[in-house]
Amino acid sequence: MCLTETLDEMVQSGTLSPELAIQVLVQFDKSMTEALEAQVKSKVTIKGHLHTYRFCDNVWTFILQDALFKSEELQENVSRVKIVACDSKLLTQ
Amino acid sequence: MTTSTTSAVYIHVIEDVIEKVREEFVADGGPGEKVLQELQGLWELKMMQAGAVLQPSERPSVPKPGPGAAITPVHDLNVPYEGTEEYETPTAEMLFPPTPLQTPIQTPLPGTADSSMYNIPTGPSDYPTPTSNEGVGASNDIKPGVGRPSPYMQPPSPWMNQRPPLGVDVNVAYVEGREEVDRGSSQPATQDFFTGPTGKRKRDEFPPQYQGGGYIPQQDGAGDAVGDVFELEIIQSKPSGRSGTVKVTSAQQKESSSRIPQLDGPIPDPYEDMLSTPNIYNYQTVNEDYNVVNTPAPDLQASTPAPPTQNDLDENGDDEPPLNENDDDDLDDIDQGEELNTQHLVLAQFDKVTRTKSRWKCTLKDGIMHINNKDILFNKASGEFDF
Repeated sequence: MCLTETLDEMVQSGTLSPELAIQVLVQFDKSMTEALEAQVKSKVTIKGHLHTYRFCDNVWTFILQDALFKSEELQENVSRVKIVACDSKLLTQ
Repeated sequence: MTTSTTSAVYIHVIEDVIEKVREEFVADGGPGEKVLQELQGLWELKMMQAGAVLQPSERPSVPKPGPGAAITPVHDLNVPYEGTEEYETPTAEMLFPPTPLQTPIQTPLPGTADSSMYNIPTGPSDYPTPTSNEGVGASNDIKPGVGRPSPYMQPPSPWMNQRPPLGVDVNVAYVEGREEVDRGSSQPATQDFFTGPTGKRKRDEFPPQYQGGGYIPQQDGAGDAVGDVFELEIIQSKPSGRSGTVKVTSAQQKESSSRIPQLDGPIPDPYEDMLSTPNIYNYQTVNEDYNVVNTPAPDLQASTPAPPTQNDLDENGDDEPPLNENDDDDLDDIDQGEELNTQHLVLAQFDKVTRTKSRWKCTLKDGIMHINNKDILFNKASGEFDF
């Protein structure tokens, strides 16, 4: 997202080498997962009509219609939402 | 735009990443600390424009002490207030969220697994066993078995069924034609049979184009050049059923057996002989272009011969658009749907996914939701969907 955009810009302007940009991305993935594990405690429940499900290369993809997201803080209604989830066991290995 | 905790986590992640890649930057050959700071500045700027991170001035007010504490030391190390200066300019931009918001929504997609997910055709994922390993095994086993046969099995059956009745007549006609081509009279039967099917298969292989033409019966009837024979003859008698066409062809072939060999050849002369109306000439020229499709022919047949080309075009235009439009609309809807879906996106890891009949339950963990322009992080999520 923002990071990849930034890295793209910097690589294209020549201030950053592509290899280093990749390293930054890898580090971001690590940091993000760590941060999610360590700092986020919220629990969310999702309900909705499953429009599409697919499981490919250990990645689940769900497309929900009229989904309802509930957490402690807020509640969101979405007509269509896509959920992409990779295997937690594979990531920890 | 974002809950304070989410913003805090993002800031923490930024700090963390910058901190951990510093070694690489400062090391020999690395671009140096300055580039690192530029990276951080740009990144945070974009995050703020996206509304994913709150203004840096609000950082101290972040409820969670953890990230805040982490921030201060980092800022001591970095050029701390250069960042803030950069932030303050965008604050004005923060007041106009809509435009900047759109970029972040779309950008995450290519970077994540989404793009690959789109390209991958939906495999048969109806696995009763939710566990990842078992699911994988099942998918590998099932896909080749279930996925392929159906598409390939269907085409043969139609022409296999339809071929025999046509084949008899065709062979008769071809015997004469082949003889002119200096082939043995005894062989043509088999040869015709083979050539016919191949032509048939080719058509089956290109169904979408022909569906674009929009006339299934023509595909069935037309083998090779033989199809032209049928069409012309049909023009005269206008039979509705396929069996009718077969009879007509056989009868007329007997009548004009001498012309049939010419029909095999690409030369338009025989057509002229058989159908003396000038319209057919036009039709033929058209037909040569769309020879394989044969679509224009039936239109002519059905329509009065008077203004042939125009009628063809018109009728084609009338008939085709509904078919094509319907197909396209369906596809477009799906495509657009997929694209729209990306606006609300949940990225997570799954612990397990189970299904009982049409009821799906999944437990996710450590995910990010981008819903209604809000970023929500969650540690656990449980979903219940009915399919």
